[in-house]
Amino acid sequence: MSLLSVENLNQVYTDAYTHEEMTAVGNVSFDIPEGQFISLIGPSGCGKTTVLNIVAGFIRASGGSVMLAGKPISGPGPDRGVVFQDFALFPWKSVEANIAFGLKMRGVDKAERKRRAREVIELVGLSGFEAKYPHELSGGMRQRVGVARVLATEPTMMLMDEPFASIDAQTRRVLQQEVLRIWEQERPTVLFVTHDVDEAIFMSDRVIVLSSRPSAVQADIEIPIPRPRTWSDVYADPAFVRIRRELMAMLGVDDDEKGS
Amino acid sequence: MTGIALRPSREPLSDSGRRQLARRRARLSSAAWFLSPFVVLVALWAVLVPALDVSPRTFPSLASVWAVFTSGVTDGSLWTQVFASLARVGAGTGLAIAIGVPFGILMGISRGVSGFFSPLLRFSVALAGIAWIPLATLWLGYGTGAVVFIVFNAVFFAVVYTTMLGVRQISTSLLRAARSLGAGPGRMFVEIYLPGAAPSIVTGLRMGMGFAWRGLIAAEIIATSSGLGYTLFLARQYYETDVIILMMITIGVLWLLMDRFLLAPLERRTVERWGARRQVGT
Amino acid sequence: MTVDTPVRSQQRSRVETAGAWTGLLRVPGIRTWGPFAVVVAIWALIAELELFPSAFFVGPGTVFETTVRLIERGILPSYIGDSLLRLAVGAGFGVVIGVALGFLIGLNKYARKFSWPMLLFFQAIGDIAWLPILIIWFGFSLTSVTLVIVYTVTFPLIISIVAGIDSIPQNLMRAAASLGAKRWRGIVEVVVPAALPGISSGIRTGLGYGWRALIAAEIIIGTSGVGFMMFEARRQGDVSHVFIGMVVLGALWYATDALILAPFEKETVERWGMVEGIGR
Repeated sequence: MSLLSVENLNQVYTDAYTHEEMTAVGNVSFDIPEGQFISLIGPSGCGKTTVLNIVAGFIRASGGSVMLAGKPISGPGPDRGVVFQDFALFPWKSVEANIAFGLKMRGVDKAERKRRAREVIELVGLSGFEAKYPHELSGGMRQRVGVARVLATEPTMMLMDEPFASIDAQTRRVLQQEVLRIWEQERPTVLFVTHDVDEAIFMSDRVIVLSSRPSAVQADIEIPIPRPRTWSDVYADPAFVRIRRELMAMLGVDDDEKGS
Repeated sequence: MTGIALRPSREPLSDSGRRQLARRRARLSSAAWFLSPFVVLVALWAVLVPALDVSPRTFPSLASVWAVFTSGVTDGSLWTQVFASLARVGAGTGLAIAIGVPFGILMGISRGVSGFFSPLLRFSVALAGIAWIPLATLWLGYGTGAVVFIVFNAVFFAVVYTTMLGVRQISTSLLRAARSLGAGPGRMFVEIYLPGAAPSIVTGLRMGMGFAWRGLIAAEIIATSSGLGYTLFLARQYYETDVIILMMITIGVLWLLMDRFLLAPLERRTVERWGARRQVGT
Repeated sequence: MTVDTPVRSQQRSRVETAGAWTGLLRVPGIRTWGPFAVVVAIWALIAELELFPSAFFVGPGTVFETTVRLIERGILPSYIGDSLLRLAVGAGFGVVIGVALGFLIGLNKYARKFSWPMLLFFQAIGDIAWLPILIIWFGFSLTSVTLVIVYTVTFPLIISIVAGIDSIPQNLMRAAASLGAKRWRGIVEVVVPAALPGISSGIRTGLGYGWRALIAAEIIIGTSGVGFMMFEARRQGDVSHVFIGMVVLGALWYATDALILAPFEKETVERWGMVEGIGR
């Protein structure tokens, strides 16, 4: 039984300057079973973030259907927690208040909010930073807050939009492992958008590849690497090497050029 | 990065006509939105004043303001007043830029000097313009001199202050690069400091002119016998509300024209060309 | 590297002098008041040398004596009181109206589209230009003065609140919505705090214009107040009162900034890292 089902999704918009009609998403269909970690990758501009925004309810699809647990999506809601590339933390709220925000919106009382926030802070390794404001934290720590803010409300699904793209390379590796560790404890269903092939393989149970515009699902690949995973294990796994080569070829990138 | 990003397929030519139409329609609708509130306002004016039988000593009819406008245009008296005011703004502002910019750059070059002058300048910017009217009329007498002085000092302090800030924001590595490439003091001034501070200078100019324009009207009311402010205040003595309203509209329109077509484009251009804001965006 | 030597020594000497200055300037009292002390000293020197006739220019000593006399007679305190009361009443109404309209226009697309051009136009007319017609409507009265100040404070406030709301990052609103904030909660929790930098800079600009409008109105309408005092003195050729007026205006501006605006910003937008080193 799949938790999220996306069928014939299509998104057309009119460019604000040229007034041209652009097709961001051509025809995309996929399913995510409960508890799976799914990555969405594809060439830049293929509309993978648009798909995530539609699932989040931030933008309305031009055509097709998106069902979460059998119900169509209408607008954003706390059942789908979003982790943003630019963190999107509230600068006027402390770390703890940022994390408790969702609970506050739900009307949870103050003591319970505090208890739950502390729990999540512990989980993401931010103990001691409760009273800090976001601008006082490093990029990596900010994204820990971003993840914790979503975990606090225990959403049905987590949507992550290139969450580690604006974090330096070393911190990124650490955070990826951390997020996996937390994911293995809580097992939420995750839709993860990235342009980093290594990251997609490392994190996911399945990788969905979108073609360039007008985009459609080009491939849907199972990742048979055992969990729990660490970077050193995964790099050594022959499956990783094979899938990586496969994906690189599909995206039209030579292995030598993986760069960045 | 994942390398090759395929461009979206080019649309067939037949679409270009439709696209152009869409663009034109969008532009028309934004123009309509811009004008509609004014149309409503003028319509209300045209209807309400006769309907409520408002005395012309309280508020003029649309027709009488129009009549004052056309006669002012045909006999040239309106242009005379507009020109008198604009000439004062031009003289004061020109003087302020000519003195203020080099002054600001010199102060900005040294951290010590600019640190010393910062609080003083902040204070002066806050005080510039209208507060100087008594002193200006005392020193320079009633007349154009005092008015130009008010405009000058409103723009001057704002420009000096922002120029100084602008110079201080130029990155140290840029300065070092220029120096190591052999730029002497004169070259540094023209090639580095001036363009580097330009966006900040223009922002200051815009702010200063905002103060100057108000200062001009006040100074003309108080200290002269020509110009928009003077005409505006003179009309009050005779309860010529039509002249007053026409002058208010003229003052508003002139400032909008200056701000929209002179200052805002200047600011946009300097910021875009030299402020490098655009590169970050793409 | 022979060429390098002079450049480097030049640089070092610059660094050293800057170091001495910045060291001194790091002491908060000196940093703020030091420059003013120097200016007062130069002022005294110019007066002492009698470069200008005393009918045009008086020294700090004379100004101080006259100030003491005016305070003893109770004239200065009552004029300052009048001016401050007018500014406070006008600014109070202006802030209430400006904040309400600012949020209405910033949040409602249609209110925005319809009123924006008109806002720019009325902002462009400028406060002082309203004075003549206000005098016709309300006479040479306090109402006219207050209305001018309300007008001056309102428009910049509306415009900068709208700009503040416009510049809220889209993802912040999205984050709030996806965490379950409904429209009103979203406004209270996100839009209002995010608009605070706009509000504070709007109030700053508004008060800057309001101050000037007050002075002009007091000169023109002239019954009492600091502006009135300055211009009345100028008519009678009494320079020292004009100088006192300038000093008082400056001091009052400094006080409003240091006692009200700066602490407010320090507690909110600066603490949250929403502005980086505002120079103003």
